[in-house]
Parts: sequence; structure tokens; C-alpha cells
Amino acid sequence: MAENTCANPVWPCAMTGAVATLAGFPDICVIIHGSSGCYYYPRSLLKVPLFSTYLLESEIVFGTIDRLHEVVTEVAATGRPIAVVNTCVPALTGEDLKTAFSEETAMFVDAPGFCGNAEQGAVKAFEAMMPDVAADRPGINIDGINLLDLFWRGNLHETERLLALLGIPVAVRFCRDTWKNLRKGAAPVTVSANSSYASGVGTCIGSMLFPDMPKTIDRCLAQFPNADADAVLAEHQRAEEQMFYSCDKYLRKYTPPVVAVAAQESYAVFAKAMMERYFGSDVPVIFARDRPAPEVPYSVNSAEINADIAAAEPDLILGSTFEAAACRKAAFFGITPPDRSRVSVAARPLAGVEGGLVLIEGALNALMNRHAAEEKKR
Amino acid sequence: MPENIYEARMAGCTLGGALSVACFIPGAVAVVHAPQGCVHQTFSMLHAMANESEVWTVPEILVSNIGDREVIFGGEERLSATLDEAAAKNPDLILVVTSCVPETIGDDCGAVCARHPYADRIVYVPTSGFLGGSAKDGENAVLAALARRAPVADLIPGTVALVGEKNLESEADQNYAEVERLLARLGLRITIRFCRNCNYATLMQLGTAACFILRDERAADAGRIIGERFGRPVIPEFPRGLSGCLAFLRATGAACGVAEERICAAVAEETAYQELMLSKFSNLSGKTIFLGAEPFAGTTAVAREAAARLGMQERADGFLIRLPFYLPIGTAGVEKMLYLWRRAVNNG
Repeated sequence: MAENTCANPVWPCAMTGAVATLAGFPDICVIIHGSSGCYYYPRSLLKVPLFSTYLLESEIVFGTIDRLHEVVTEVAATGRPIAVVNTCVPALTGEDLKTAFSEETAMFVDAPGFCGNAEQGAVKAFEAMMPDVAADRPGINIDGINLLDLFWRGNLHETERLLALLGIPVAVRFCRDTWKNLRKGAAPVTVSANSSYASGVGTCIGSMLFPDMPKTIDRCLAQFPNADADAVLAEHQRAEEQMFYSCDKYLRKYTPPVVAVAAQESYAVFAKAMMERYFGSDVPVIFARDRPAPEVPYSVNSAEINADIAAAEPDLILGSTFEAAACRKAAFFGITPPDRSRVSVAARPLAGVEGGLVLIEGALNALMNRHAAEEKKR
Repeated sequence: MPENIYEARMAGCTLGGALSVACFIPGAVAVVHAPQGCVHQTFSMLHAMANESEVWTVPEILVSNIGDREVIFGGEERLSATLDEAAAKNPDLILVVTSCVPETIGDDCGAVCARHPYADRIVYVPTSGFLGGSAKDGENAVLAALARRAPVADLIPGTVALVGEKNLESEADQNYAEVERLLARLGLRITIRFCRNCNYATLMQLGTAACFILRDERAADAGRIIGERFGRPVIPEFPRGLSGCLAFLRATGAACGVAEERICAAVAEETAYQELMLSKFSNLSGKTIFLGAEPFAGTTAVAREAAARLGMQERADGFLIRLPFYLPIGTAGVEKMLYLWRRAVNNG
């Protein structure tokens, strides 16, 4: 997306996004067609088994198809579906890799890093997977689940829980499901936990992020007349009251925090709306990692983002530890990777009722800890 | 290039290696001619490492951001524009490294650097991503390029330079401290860390060191160039293991012209120090252990020596000891390893 020089870029490339999307189907063997340098990053980030052709310079000179065949043939012995994700150099040398093997043998995802960001890579992975919509498939798909998301497991659990409360079965989870289930066909209707990772499969009727939930549930009821929304709406109402109560308590002692936000567009818009609604915050700095939105500029340039944050002197940063490093005085709650401020192994959501509570709870605790630290210094 | 094809395939990319050196020169700017995703990987690694070390500033890396357009029309303009931005910061040095993409699309990066108004302060290292070799090759290329700029100079007695410290290993500063401690026994001091947090002016004094100590064989290519350029001895690696410490004292002392009596005294002092350290682990004496797989070449030899010194037995049915995924440096490195053994033996 960005055309200009970038200092310390904060977001992964298309290849990484494509691999993360495909790896959400653990029965797919994902092969990175590139060098070990390209392989190590998604492997260390995603912590799932991945394959690679580990290309050498000599193979670039003489052609990479033989090496790709060698690895695909070896992996095919597992009997599992295969996806080959292409990287920069083999994408540039003009080899016809797409027709190097049949579609039955492996799907080919041409997602070299230079073609865009992680979200654009995810789109390319979806195009290659070609998920069909089965008109008679009951239930609803869950979208926006991506292994790169800090909250993917929590979002999946929370969205499944809410749909179960509504009495709507889940069809396919994009992307944390089985290839077999995907091939049965997706349901015609989809809800999203994080719209920055949109699969484009089925008709998306809305987001499960807290402020969007009432509208999304209305649309669910229109699609599934037998669904029962009472329990979910009651939960939403209770959470709303709880958040106002906790923030009111904070605001009796302190002024509304000035907040800086940097995340994917969906989470950035969500975080800004939540902080404005429950804290009455000013959000003078907001950046989207993946795409611009109204009043949300796009940037992955760490120097640019951090300069704006430092100038705003925020009380709270909602972003990654890249941003937290820009202003050590501010409280911090991580909503986008990397979050190296804490050990994070449990499944926490940012979507759904619990996701709204997690954000407000995280913001409150970060702010209170900061106030406590300041008190201690005095 | 490693001789073994498996090793060659797994050897990583020059860019990561080159940046692991280039980013640790205060006052310099690293410019990478590449798609931005390549630099994100390195930036993430540096950020992770900085957080572990509770260092909150990460060096700035400027990336030219090659995209679809540059792939079709060429990326030289983008590199030139990025050099303009780097030069605007008025750095002491601009280190330019490249990924595999400009190599493939045929950008003449050397010419762009040579005709830039800041050319006299630009060091262009054509790393070329994986097309230029491995991560190790990237490290050596930057070390060698900088060493070639350092003028030949008169030796300052009693000084040494460390070459090729592994800037991304979490215990880099602990290893430095251990080497510094050992050198102090010989009356030697480290004046240059080539390249770890030394500014350009200091790096350019490389030629004043009485000898050069390489971190390990990974920096051997750069070490050879440095040794030849300045005509001084090169110690091939940091001390590994207990006897390795003593050998290191002898070799470095001799290389720096330290008097034989002083070297002997240093060896005796270190031997006594090691005995004292080992006495903390006397409860391990007589225990049987089984050393697991060797995750890092050379670790088993260090472990076997320590086990023998403590009177431990090695047997297949002994306590499984997982060897560290790094080479224990000096007596301090062995001590840390023994704490892990004691935990395993005492707690199962």
C-alpha cells in the first residue's frame, strides 16, 4: 500500500498473511516456495508446522520447478491437501509455477511480499482456496479469524459461544477449521470477528465487535427467524452497564484519558469508539495498519506513528509494543501484534461481549497501574 | 556458502545477518533496498530483543519499499529517494544493504550510491538477500566493508577489539562481561566492539587494537580480512568451557605480548576461580547424567569437561540433561549451565 520510504515497518508482508490464512486449516500442508530467510519469520510467528523449498541461488538461476516438484511430491505422501505460497524471487523470474502441478495436487498462492501487506496476502489465499457457498448449508460462517491476530482464539470461542446462545449453528470458521468442512461448502451468511481479515465468502451481515453487535444480531434474526436473541442482548446490556459503572468510577478520580490508537482498521475504529463512549476520551492519534478509513489514516511507518504519538503525549496507547516504546510514560494495552508487554497464552477475545469487557478492563488496569506508579514516585 | 546442501538451505538470508551488524552503530543509518516486509522481519526481531533487554529504543532502519511498480519499472529512484531521506538526518554513515528483489530486477544499486551527494559517507554492501548467501555471509560482508574503511594505524599496547559479537543473542552483554573479566587478568582492555554500540569514529580506530578476538567461527571471513589488513593476531573465538578459558588466556596473552609471568599468574588465578565456582555444585558429584542431543556444536565437549571436573558419571539411564542451545562462554557460561543441571538433578 505505501509508496514511500518507510522507517521500521510495523506490519508483515503478503506472503506471511497468506501463510497465516492457510495455516488456519491445520490439515493443509503449507509450503513456502522461497528461501529459508522467508520461511523463518512466519514459522516463528505462527508457531505451527510449515514446509519450505528452502531455495538456493543456483535454483533461481536454473529454475525452481524441479525443487518445488521434489518438495510437493514428498509432502503429498502425507495424503493431505497442499498449498504452495510463492515468494518474491520465484515470482519475478517468470517461471510458470501455477501450471507446474495440477490443482488436485496443490493449490498455488502467488503472494510475493512485494505485492502488498498481510491482509492482501490473506485475500490471495482465499482466492486460491476458492471456498464455495452451499445455498443449503445451515448456519452461519465466522469470519476474521487469523493466526496473526493476538485475539484469534478468544474471538473464535466468544463468537461461537454467542452464536450458540442465539441458537445458530456455525458452518465454517475462516480461518480455523478443517479442509474437509470447508469443502462441504460455506453457509450463505457470515459474521465477522475482525473485518480486516475478510474472506469475502457468503454475505457478511456484520461485525461481532461490541458496538456493532446490536445491529449484527438484528440482521441475524432477519436471516434466522428461529434464533433467540434475548440472552445475548441481555448480556450485552449488562456489559454496557458494567463498563459505564467501572469507567464512571475511574472518572470520579481522573480526567478522561487522552488515547493514541494504532491497529488494523477494524480494531482501531472499535477501540476509538469504545474509548470515546465509555471514557469520553479524546483520541487525537489513530493509525490503521492495513487500510485507511474515514478519519483513520493508514501508516506502517513506525517513525511516523511514534512521532505523532509522542507529540500527543497520550495517557494511554492502544496498539502494539512498537508504539508503547514511543512513549514510555503512557499506559499501554496491546491490541495488535506484537505485544511484548506481557506473557499472553490464554485465549482472550476482543470481539463479542467479553471482547468489549476485555478492552475496557485492559484500558482501566493499564491506566490505574500508571497512576499507581506515578503516586509511588511522589 | 556452507558445503552441506542442507546447511546451505537452512542458512537464512543475508539481510537479517547484515542488519544485525548495521543496526548497532550509533550515529549511522541503515538503508535497505527491499520490499518493506523484509525489514519488518528484522525490525520485529530487534524489537523483541530490545524488550528482553529492557532497552526501549530500536535502531531506525529505512526501507525503500519496493512494490509492484518498482518491480516493473525498476527501483533505483526509490533507493535514491531513500538515500535522500537518510542523508537528511546527517548521519555519520549510511549503510546500504539489499534484499533479493533488487538483485533480481537488475537495479544498479552501486551506481545509485556512488552518484549520491552523500556518497563519501555511504557504505554499500550488496548483500542481495538469499541470492548473496546466508545470514552469516551478510554479517561478514558488513564487518568486512567497515573494516576496509578503517585506516591502518599504530598499535596501542594492551588493547583488544572484539569482532562479530552476536547482537541478536540475548546474553551478548553477559558474554562480553565475561571476556572483559578474563582480559582484565592479563591487564588488557577492550577498546572497540566491532560492531556493537560503538559509533563510527570508534569503529574507524579498529587498526589500533593489539589483537582481534572473534566471537566465533561465524565471523571467520571478516576476521581473516581484518587480520590481513592490520597485520595483527586474530583469536578465533570467545573462550568456551573451563579449559577453554585457560587456553584463551594463554593465546590472547601471547598475541598481545603480555609477559609470560603475567600470563601464568592469570591462568593460576582463573584456575582457582574455577575451583571455587565448581565447589558450589559439589552435591552433583557422583550423580549420573545423560547428556541429551547437542543443539549447538561444541556444547557437548564443554558439558563433558564440566561433568568430569565435578566427578559426575555419564550413563544412558542417568538424569537427562538438556544442553543449552548456545555455547557456554567462559567460566560464567559453565556456571549458568551447571545451575540448570542442578535444577534438573534436584527436581527431576
